Amino acid sequence: MALLELKDVSKNFGKLQAVSDLDFNVNKGEIHSLIGPNGAGKTTVFNLITGTYPVTNGRIVFNGDDITGLQPHQTAQRGIGRSFQGTFLFMQQSVLDNLMIGFHMSCRAGVLNEFLHTRSAKKTDDECRQKALEIIEFMGLGALKNEMAGNLPHGHQRALGVSIALACSPTLLMLDEPVTGMNPTETVEMVERIRRIRDRGITIILIEHTMRVVMNVSDRLTVLSYGRKIAEGLPEEIRNNQEVIEAYLGREEK
Amino acid sequence: MSKAIKIGLLVVLAILLVVLPWLVNPYTVQVLIMTITYSMLGLAFAFSLKVGLPRFDIAAWWGVGGYATALLMLKAHMNFWPTVLIGGIIAMLVGFLIFIIAVPRGMMVFLMFGMVVAMAIQQIFGSVKFFGGWSGTGLVPRPTIFSHTIAGKPELYYLGLFFLVVNLLVFYYLYNSKIGRAWNAIGSSLKLAGSVGIDVVKYRMANVLIGNFFLAVAGSYYIAYSLSAVPTSFSFSASIFVMMYIVVGGIAQSLSGPLLGALIITFIPEYLRVAKEYEPIITAVITILIIIFVPMSILGWLDRRVKPWFARLGKGGEKEQGAPA
Repeated sequence: MALLELKDVSKNFGKLQAVSDLDFNVNKGEIHSLIGPNGAGKTTVFNLITGTYPVTNGRIVFNGDDITGLQPHQTAQRGIGRSFQGTFLFMQQSVLDNLMIGFHMSCRAGVLNEFLHTRSAKKTDDECRQKALEIIEFMGLGALKNEMAGNLPHGHQRALGVSIALACSPTLLMLDEPVTGMNPTETVEMVERIRRIRDRGITIILIEHTMRVVMNVSDRLTVLSYGRKIAEGLPEEIRNNQEVIEAYLGREEK
Repeated sequence: MSKAIKIGLLVVLAILLVVLPWLVNPYTVQVLIMTITYSMLGLAFAFSLKVGLPRFDIAAWWGVGGYATALLMLKAHMNFWPTVLIGGIIAMLVGFLIFIIAVPRGMMVFLMFGMVVAMAIQQIFGSVKFFGGWSGTGLVPRPTIFSHTIAGKPELYYLGLFFLVVNLLVFYYLYNSKIGRAWNAIGSSLKLAGSVGIDVVKYRMANVLIGNFFLAVAGSYYIAYSLSAVPTSFSFSASIFVMMYIVVGGIAQSLSGPLLGALIITFIPEYLRVAKEYEPIITAVITILIIIFVPMSILGWLDRRVKPWFARLGKGGEKEQGAPA
């Protein structure tokens, strides 16, 4: 059974049809890439899944539950983690604090315990700190854990964005252009980490423009153009798909 | 600054505040009483700014608290203290209603709604007979505590200090709790906060309602010394005025900023009384000058320019990262 299913999903903003009649499935444990020219609606699809935008039509099913119409914090609590296309971080906080906020919802000691600062609240806080440090190390930010997020160089900021999404212990991780703006070394490291995240059992949806990365790391691809799915399948199939090539190149000719 | 020094300074400050009435003339005490009220208003505004909501309805809830206390004491012959609580609860309930009506339509609508409420509240208090009309509720009995009447400037000043300290403690506690961390996240990056599971609407509502409660308390205190609730006190411009405290005193410093701002902006006009009708102009000019030359607010300037200077003088190794006081 697919972990995530989008059934006949459409989204329009007034007259602008951002996504049309999209059927989209992601299988458990795969790295599934969502690609397409700029403006194809890829980030909109992410926003529909998380609930940032309400769907105009269609249903979204996650783990067997209908999550259409839920709020972003609710989809997050159900195990959908998401990183952003731009750099959205808690800039004034340290790297460690950025992640601790992410544990906010998975480390509930209970409000009363928190109020009274009981020992159980402290213990859970320590556990969160441990897990947070683990993730920070894993993403290669170990040395920077007390640095203010706003002071990090771009590549590390992107890595931090992914870390925050991981802090929610997601079952499904949605990465929106994680390697954009990174140099080749950073890109290779990030790709390796994405693989290792998948190896830990987390399903991944990836939006990326760097074709080399996409073809290399994906199990399956879905291609969008003008809000519609124009192709889906294995990397080799997509690479040679005429329509896909036209969608990307045809734009430039116009 | 080490914790010991901080606590030491606070103790000195506390002692100073307590003996103040004996050190200065009665008029200054009067001004301090007003400053305390305005500080509480400023604290409430900074409180809502934390979650990214610049509230325009500050004076409205201040008025609700004031009128609640005035009317309950006058007509229901209640003791002062229960009226403070009841006023706060009314402010929370009405605020809750407004929140549920406005919020599904977006936070912008909520803010606009607040503006409308702030503008309308003066009219409502003035026009509705029950509130006593434009001349106000009439003279309200003085507050009492254990059958001692609280009267005279020093006593009212201490009453104010009591409310202010409670306000500060509660806010300080909230800011450093889990709720506070969620609020910080919301104020820092709305999208990101939602993506890590923070229910933005719920936390904002908590913030607005708690703010309402303390605004009403400030209103009750206001009645304790002004002894009458008059519509003109709770004007819309008062709501706007509050924002100045933050800009001048400290934007990032949610507790000390409003205090410093209120202090400066309340005292400057008082000492400029000699200028008579030119006083508002001079105050405005001074305020504008402060904003131009110290755009990061006075405490912000201290944080960024002065603190690092001290750190360099000291034995080094101390983090200069300014934490919100």
